[in-house]
Amino acid sequence: MNLALSILSEAASAQPQSVIDKLQAYTATAEMSVAQQQLNDPDYWSSVGIITITGLLVVFLILGILIFFFWAMGLVFKTIDKKKAAKAEAAKAAAAEEAAKAAVAAAVVEEIADDEADADDDEIIAVISAAIAAYSEQDGKAYEIRSIKRRDSRTRSAWSLAGIGDNTRPF
Amino acid sequence: MEIFISTIDGLAQSSGFMGLNVQNIIMILLSFVLFYLAIVKQYEPLLMLPIAFGMLLTNLPMTGLYHPELWDPATNPYFAPEYIEQQGGVIVNYVKETSLDYGRVLHDGGLLDMLYLGVKLQIYPPLIFLGIGSMTDFGPLIANPKSFLLGAAAQGGIFITFLGACLLNLTGIADFSLKEAGSIAIIGGADGPTAIFLTSKLAPQLLGSIAVAAYSYMALVPVIQPPIMKLLTTEKERSVKMGQLRQVSKIEKVVFPIAVTVIVALIVPDAASLVGMLMLGNLMKESGVCDRLVKTAQNELMNIVTIFLGTTVGATAVAGNFLSVKTLFIIALGLIAFCMGTACGVLLGKLMYLISGGKINPLIGSAGVSAVPMAARVSQKVGQETNPSNFLLMHAMGPNVAGVIGSAVAAGVLLSVLG
Repeated sequence: MNLALSILSEAASAQPQSVIDKLQAYTATAEMSVAQQQLNDPDYWSSVGIITITGLLVVFLILGILIFFFWAMGLVFKTIDKKKAAKAEAAKAAAAEEAAKAAVAAAVVEEIADDEADADDDEIIAVISAAIAAYSEQDGKAYEIRSIKRRDSRTRSAWSLAGIGDNTRPF
Repeated sequence: MEIFISTIDGLAQSSGFMGLNVQNIIMILLSFVLFYLAIVKQYEPLLMLPIAFGMLLTNLPMTGLYHPELWDPATNPYFAPEYIEQQGGVIVNYVKETSLDYGRVLHDGGLLDMLYLGVKLQIYPPLIFLGIGSMTDFGPLIANPKSFLLGAAAQGGIFITFLGACLLNLTGIADFSLKEAGSIAIIGGADGPTAIFLTSKLAPQLLGSIAVAAYSYMALVPVIQPPIMKLLTTEKERSVKMGQLRQVSKIEKVVFPIAVTVIVALIVPDAASLVGMLMLGNLMKESGVCDRLVKTAQNELMNIVTIFLGTTVGATAVAGNFLSVKTLFIIALGLIAFCMGTACGVLLGKLMYLISGGKINPLIGSAGVSAVPMAARVSQKVGQETNPSNFLLMHAMGPNVAGVIGSAVAAGVLLSVLG
């Protein structure tokens, strides 16, 4: 509208033909869509290129700054954790030293430990037997346990898979 | 008898049947298709169902629930008063502005016009982000900050599509202004609230089409992404098992939202409302001292805003805006944006795989397109297809939540350049 008014205000002083040209140009612009007007702009493609490149660069720049910030923050916290772990380790070592001094007590502990290892195995066998018995009740069939062997430790156990599943279920 | 006939005639004249036309009928049928997608196919039903119902309501004639003419500055301009002192008196001169006359909206608007104020004034998307923030665990991202790179790379889809939409104008069949191109491109961010946030500002006339396209493709992430991921990676790359992430302390989780808000808002202030609300929600969660607020943000507030947002965005899909060739181009460009975003993420993942000496599984790159947590689940699923004992989910959550921040930043950049 401002362009039209300025053209009309020029009408008195300017050549009649140039005014008509300008008005025709204005009418043509008004009829064009915003997209067409933008396409006619000689700087259109440079603007598109600049928006694309700078947009992507700014996103990378901001996220890059965040990487640096949180990497540095991670370093600080890792150092703090290491110091805490070292303190805990030292406390543990001191406790172990004290335990070593009590020789008689240590021998007893060893004996108990052996018993505990055996008891652990028995306990695991009992748990597996109970689980199979419970399953056989549902199934309506009887099962006999002939042997129990450890699985290849390189793959995840069913317990480990269940644990991971439990922790990642919210996602 | 005459009174009876005239009453019946009056009722018939004021009924919706008199206002029905072919365009309304097509739009109503389209809303039925969206009902099918939401209820039977369960494509993002929490949003798709209100969108479909909004679309149905707005296209039923004579209801007066939504008035598209009130939301166009050409048909509802605001005239700002200018007070000029003259010879002891004051003359009021009204100057036409480019903004809307909100007074007329409040005076003449229907129910959906009132609710649409929350979209137009950009209130709903940041509130949705508040809820998302209160549900998100940024731990995997803090433990592995390199994930931010994958979240940034996946935004490549946005800018490639922006370029594509502009190039499409050259063919003469499409007619997208720069603002419209930017709004369409943001579909590649795979983030519904961000797409609505940007489009309501840059190209509100395309809001219905863009929202429907964005939410449809988000629901189709498990279909769209896997072929691209498999095409761009080798079996060896897909089977990489990544090391366990370190434990993140509570202090780190509390510092994270504050630091992200300060850094992002200082560099791109236009992204502050989205990122700020996302981080406020997260800080409330991680601080552990606002349990009641967190519960509200996660449940009641989120659900209420989702109903308002979905219904009003659906209401903008009136026949005049929706039934055009532009909608078809939006659907096509939206798909390209999604595919490009996925491809950019996976390609950067491949680069990181090479640089790290095979320690990073490139599949987690595709999760950079936000769509939380669907995109991360897809990375997990594709990884497990190659190696059943592989668990990529927590590693993929890093780029996934980085993608949310990345798409909000990309929206802020587009808003500051084109807005």
